[in-house]
Formats: sequence, C-alpha cells, structure tokens
Amino acid sequence: MQDDLLERLRTIVGAPNVLTGVELSPYVVEGRTPDTAIFPGSVEEVSAVIARVSELGLPVIPWGGGTAASVGMPSARAGLVLGLRRLNRLVEHEPGDLTVTVEAGMTVGELQAALSGRGQWLSLDPADAERATIGGVLATNASGPRRHLYGTARDLLIGVTVVTAEGAIVKGGGKVVKNVAGYDLPKLFVGSYGTLGVIVEATFKLRPRPDDERLVCVSFDRLKDASAAVRALMASDLIPNAVELLDATAAFGAGGTGGALGLGRTLAPTPGAVLVVGFDGLGEQVEWQCAGLARLTAGLGGRAPQALASEAWPKLAQGARAAFPVATAVMAFVVLPTQVAELMEQGAGAARARGLAAAWAAHAGVGVVSAALSAGHEPSEPAPIAAVLAEWREIARAGGGLATLEWAPLAVKSQVPVWDDPRAAGRIMQRIKAELDPKNVLNPGRFVAGI
Amino acid sequence: MATLTESRKRELRRDLEAIVGGGAVLSDPDELLVYESDGLTLFRALADFVVFPTSAEHVAAVVRLANRARLPFVARGAGTGLSGGCLPAEGGIVLSMMRMNRVLEVDYDNQLAVVEPGLVNLHLSWKVGPKGYYYAPDPSSQQACTIGGNIANNSGGPHTLKYGVTTNHVLGLEVVMPDGEIVWLGGKTREAPGYDLAGVFVGSEGTFGIATKVVVRILKKPQAVKTMLAVFDHVDRASEAVSAIIARGLVPAAVEMIDQLTIQAVEDAFGCGYPRDAAAALLVELDGLAVGMEAQTERIVAACRDAGAREVRTARNEAERALLWKGRKSAFGAYGRVSPAYMVMDGVIPRTKLPYVLRRVNEIVAAHGLRVGNVFHAGDGNLHPNILYDPRRPGEEARVVEAGGQIMKVCAEVGGSISGEHGIGLEKSDFMPFIFSAADLALMQRLKNAFNPTGLCNPGKVFPTKKSCVEVGPVAYQPHAIEEKGLAQRF
Repeated sequence: MQDDLLERLRTIVGAPNVLTGVELSPYVVEGRTPDTAIFPGSVEEVSAVIARVSELGLPVIPWGGGTAASVGMPSARAGLVLGLRRLNRLVEHEPGDLTVTVEAGMTVGELQAALSGRGQWLSLDPADAERATIGGVLATNASGPRRHLYGTARDLLIGVTVVTAEGAIVKGGGKVVKNVAGYDLPKLFVGSYGTLGVIVEATFKLRPRPDDERLVCVSFDRLKDASAAVRALMASDLIPNAVELLDATAAFGAGGTGGALGLGRTLAPTPGAVLVVGFDGLGEQVEWQCAGLARLTAGLGGRAPQALASEAWPKLAQGARAAFPVATAVMAFVVLPTQVAELMEQGAGAARARGLAAAWAAHAGVGVVSAALSAGHEPSEPAPIAAVLAEWREIARAGGGLATLEWAPLAVKSQVPVWDDPRAAGRIMQRIKAELDPKNVLNPGRFVAGI
Repeated sequence: MATLTESRKRELRRDLEAIVGGGAVLSDPDELLVYESDGLTLFRALADFVVFPTSAEHVAAVVRLANRARLPFVARGAGTGLSGGCLPAEGGIVLSMMRMNRVLEVDYDNQLAVVEPGLVNLHLSWKVGPKGYYYAPDPSSQQACTIGGNIANNSGGPHTLKYGVTTNHVLGLEVVMPDGEIVWLGGKTREAPGYDLAGVFVGSEGTFGIATKVVVRILKKPQAVKTMLAVFDHVDRASEAVSAIIARGLVPAAVEMIDQLTIQAVEDAFGCGYPRDAAAALLVELDGLAVGMEAQTERIVAACRDAGAREVRTARNEAERALLWKGRKSAFGAYGRVSPAYMVMDGVIPRTKLPYVLRRVNEIVAAHGLRVGNVFHAGDGNLHPNILYDPRRPGEEARVVEAGGQIMKVCAEVGGSISGEHGIGLEKSDFMPFIFSAADLALMQRLKNAFNPTGLCNPGKVFPTKKSCVEVGPVAYQPHAIEEKGLAQRF
C-alpha cells in the first residue's frame, strides 16, 4: 500500500488505529493478508476512510468481531480491513418505547448486558455473543435457537445507518416499530455480507425479559421418533421458544467436547437423537408447558425430560460444530421443517459411507440445519470431504432446500461452491450490487452469484 | 405522457385481448372510472386500459407488451389502499389482480400457504380456520383487501403489536419483474443465501414488479384470548398507560385507543356500551396460553389503574368481546354520523411521545378550525387522526390537507415516521424529505433502478415528484364503493 495513502488514513483515524505488518496477523483470512487494518472511531471517520479508499478502487473488508470472517470466498484482491470495534456506543435506549439504537461495533453480549439491567432484551441469540458484533450479526444474518419464536434479524431491525461504497452516510427505516415510509432498506442489508454498504448503526425493537425460562431435553432411541415429536409439538397448543433436534454426535460430542449440550460428560449416549425444547413466560406457563411436553414425548418413545442448565443456550447457537474439537467443514441448510429428519438421516449416511464422522443439529421447527464434518486428526485429503459436502447439498436440494458451505479449508471450497446458485434471482442481486457498489470495492467476490 | 390516438388504442386493445381474452379488457372511459381512485378519493387518474389476468404468464405478457409500447403499468388489488398507490398516475395499463384469487396450496405441517395475490386477506383465514390456523396480518379492510395489496403496502392491523406486519409473514414470492421476466424471490424455506429480495419487495408499493404467487406463514390460533376496555377521564392518562403496560413486561396482542369524539360517534351509531363521558378508552387484548391468562390480565388491569383508569372492564364471553371490538372497528363508519366527510391520517411516533403528540394533533386541527377523532394502534405508536370536515365549504378540504402535513411534521420531529401502514403512494411522496435526506432517497432510487430501470412499473409514487399528470384535490370527498356497500372501514 502506498505510503501517502497510509499517511492520509492515519490523519483520519489517528496513527494507533492503523495497523500494518505483523500487527495484521489476526486479520489474515485463508492465508491472505490485508494491506492494512483501520479502526475508525466515528461514523464520520468510516465515511472519510471509505470515500478515500474506494476512490482508488481498493477493496474494503468490513470487520466486526471476526467470528464469520472466513464465511464465503476470500477477496481475490488484497485490501483494507475496516474494523468497527471502536464504534461500540449505546446511542439510545428508551425502555417505554421498547427500542434501542446502537453502534455496529458493540458486541451482542455487551448490548444484552446493558438491556438486561432494564428488564429488556434483544430477542436474537447468535453464537459467540461475547465476540460477535451487532453489525456482523446483521451482515451475516446470524441467529440462534430462540429464532423459533422470535424470528431473525430481519424481524427485529427497524432502522439502519450504513456508509455506502462512495462514503455517503445513509439511513433506512427509522426508530419506530411500525414504518412503511420508503423502501425497506434494513431488509436489504441484513445478510448482505458487507457487499452493499458498511453497517454503522442499528435500531431494534426489543422485548421485555420473560419472568421465567427453561430448557429441557428428551432423548430418543430413534431420530424418526424425535422427528415425530417435533411435528406433534408444532401442532400442539404449546408455544416453545426453541425446538432443537440433535443427533447423538451433536448432543453427546466427540473427542471429549461433550457436544452442544455438554451431555457427553454426564450421560451415557443414546443411539438416536435428542430433542431440546425451550419455554419462556410466567412461571406457571413454563411449568404447564414442560408437563405438556413430557406427556407428548412419552407417547412417542421419548425418555423422561431432563432440565438443562442455561449454559446450554449458547452451545445450541453454535449448532453442530460444537460436536468436534476442530471441525473440518461446516455446512448450513434451510429446508422445510418436515424435511429436517430425512436430511439428517441421509446426510449422516453419506458421511459414514466415506468413513468420515459427522454431527447434525437443527432448529427443527423452522427447518434450519447445521452439519459438521470431521476428518479426525489426520491431515485430510480434500477430495472425500468435498464429495460428502456435494452429496449433502444434493440431498438438501432434492427436498427443495438450500445449502451454504459455512466453513471449510480453501482446498475444499475450490471444489464445492460456498453458495448455492440463486438462479434468476441472482441477476437481480447482481444489478443491486452494480447500482450500489459500481466499482465493486465492498467485499468483492465473497458472496453469492459472484458478488 | 402523450395521449394515445384512437387507432393506436384499438390496436393495443386487440393485443391485450389476445393475451387475456376478450372479456378481460376494459377501455371504455365509463368502465375505467371505477378504477380512477383507491380508498383515498382525493386523487384521481384514468388508465387507458384495465386488464384482468388469470395467470403469471398473462401478467408477464401484458408487462412485455407495455414495455414494447412504452406504456406505464400498475397492479391493483381491491383498491382499498389509502395513499393513491395503485393509481395509474401517468395513464397506461392497470392490471387488476382480482381474478387471481386462489389458495393454491396449504401445508399445515410446515405452517405455510401458497396463494394468488388477488385472494382476499380474510378468505385465507377462513380457508385454514377449520384446522385451527389463521393468517396473522389483519388490516381493518381485511374483508375486502387482497394479499397482493397487503404486500405492496406491507400492511399492518391491530394485532401487529405482537405478531408483526405483512413482511414478517411472507416467505417468498413469484414475481413478474418490470421487464416481464418471471422470478422467484425467496421460497418456502426460511431464508435463502443472497440478498433478502422478498423482504425488499414487500412494501415497495408496486414499483418493483407484480407478485403472482405468495408463500405466507399461517399460525396456530391461540388457545385463549382476553379482551379488556380501560376507561380514562384524561387522554394523557390513557396515553401514559400504553407505556405502563409495556413496562410491566407484557406485550399484548393489541392495544388500541379510542378518543371521546369517536366514542360518542360510535355510541350514537351502534351503541357498543362504551361510556360516552370517557375522555379516552384503551382496548387491550391478550392472547396465548390459557394458563397464566388471569395473571397477565391482572397485570394489565393494575397497570391501567395505576396510570389513572377509572374503570377496566373485561369481556366475559365471546359476545362481549365482539361488542368491544365492534366499537373499535365501526369507528370510521360512525364518523359519517357526525360529519359529512373525514380524512384519515397515518403517522407513527415512539410510544412514549403519545401524550405530547396527541395534544399537538388536537392543537393543530383546532387551529385550522376543524375537529378530529382519534382511533388508532396505540401499542405501536401508530396514529390515525381523522380530520372531520365538510367538502361543500370552500377551502375546508385544503385546510385538512394542510393540517395533515403539519401533523406529519410533528411525527417526524419526535423521531417517528410519516406512514405506519398506508404507504407513501401519491399522497405523501412530497413528505418524504421530512424523514429522509437526499442521500437516503438517492440510495432508494438506486435500489429501484435495479428492479425497475425504465420506471414504467407504477411511476410517480414514493419519491418526491411534481404531480403534473394527476388531478390532485381539492375534489369533494366521496365514499369508496366498498364503503358504501358496508364492506370495509377506513383505519
């Protein structure tokens, strides 16, 4: 990177907030080192930085907590990592309005702690909440088990401020919970992976914290029975806030991880599957629903429900990857809720057939599934891993679903596309990208359809 | 917009008939009159043609023809919109979606339905009701308005406080793009990799294309419902109670406010048992599990009493509940008893600003020598001041429009929005700068360019523009055809 540009950037954000050389090691993705990493301290500084570098056509890689930095294809060109961690202020929280405005670099954990003191919460529980930032969670559309009842970022984000590819500061939505003025820009930026603009501030609708919350698990000898229990639960009067279906590997863990639930340390594994259900509300409501779940599952081959400690929640958010000390690859799927068990069953079979270990976990009520593949400690050949992943994607597609390769070594990613082909909709996405980022500077090449 | 010659018109009519069939094209000015306005009768614009497609292929062929002929086009549902959004502002073709009204598929196990855009909102709940399901978004015109129209406006309703608006219930759409290509945005699964095109399409007021199939979520009906009416002697106390309820850690399904003028009009007209001397009443509904319903009701009652309610009534049975809701839902019809005409405003404010903004609304309207009735979604902070007036008095309607603009300014000043559910359409396009900067609007324009680069798809809407081709008020208020039939109310 040219020295005069570095100098200019240092004047904008202050010299200590511009990293070069060995300081860049935390920002290396897939072996690719950025030219520099820069940490603006205000929205105006973000704007000034982007205006300067995009003029030169340099790629800008927005960076929050780095928890999803390796999702997608790495930028083909080196560029500038734009760290948002210093934009971490809580701008406004009015409890009577049930809304909050925060800067994008605040972590989810920090925000929840601030809200909790006033009896409220953001009903979004992605993995790694202590590191994941609000901006990153929005850009990657991360969510957790409670999405079953409370939806995802798209349902909670009511306003957003972004810095565009040219450095303009633009607002979409607003601060009120209901608003149809203008196009729904917040929806556009949720899940856009930093390819359309850099999210710098967000306004959410909140919920009051429930009086009580409980997580219970029910073991089954057969995945099929657990799946039938999910269906019965969905058709019942119960209102769970989470419905998680885990296969034995995900639930009990491998290699001493204890799995997503930590059950491996306390319980002998069952061969089938574990259903984990969350309830919240008034104490009497939680009580009544737990009893209802016990009745419902007993008739379908479930063991007696067992209460889980609240520490299990963040592990559930991690999905299948928590099953292995180090997963070789992680794939995420969306399918119809009724297809979940079949995908898990067939997918596990495909991995077994190639001698690889796999773990499966699902937000079963909404059809969001994750699978982790482990080649053990052996230095792994990419071919069999790629073959299993390709087969998994085919299984999902056959059932009308989609797959995203969330994590894999670059050697595998070069054989198995990270993203599914969005077909005709991909052309509209490309047009949106061309309109909003004509020089292709924001996370170039990372996203779907070559965006 | 150049006027079409008679011979060109005949030619185009033949082309359109070749696509949708002889009985599905209107071009006679008398027949076109029915489609000259929506529920906001302030604006009128005549189309050259109204067509009635019955398939996505029909829609696509009409759109391609419009592109070739460089004619603007706009889709229309039941015409219950309240911002002029479906008007053919620059002439051209109106595609009435009313013949595409089938429920194509209901998948109870996956809690979704695939429907056509002309399906009437309430008919979906009727269809899935026997199995214990319903479609949650419930705009007050739900007996007449269509799912497609709901998508264009991202419609809400009283129960959005707990369940969200249309966008929270749409999984995917088959869309005819403004260039005639048929594309799926989203689908039956929860999310697809890539930009949330379905999310962006919902609420785009018909400017991004025409939906031809819609995948919506259907929800299990709640086990129990509890409806209360809290009566207040001061409007401020009622406003404060809204935030007080939220502060007790509860999110009711609905919290609606009805002011004194409205209560009296309703009582004169229908006798729903609201106390005539009350300054305001809050209609609060809880739903969910039967267990805990009593405890939650007690919390609401306590919150209202602490905020100064003089009385809180609880509906003891379905008949009492229906009567309480009738008071709320018939408010708009009741205004007809006290005024020859009224205009409904739609603005949103942070809940905590309710006491201040309601005072300002009353002041603004009084300063214009007019009266106002308020009946609205208080829990969401979604105001609906209804300004009463007499269109026969010269200048009165202009004063209503001016007062409306000032009310929107107040909403914007307290950090709110200029529309909660009626949309921008033609009515509020010039108010957009109240809440959006030039840069904000420029980004929206670029997004529009990605979907609708020629601008032929529903031109003249959403963005500030000169309303040169549209006949703009002061035209006398006329009730919409469906109001006259008693099919729908304005909210």
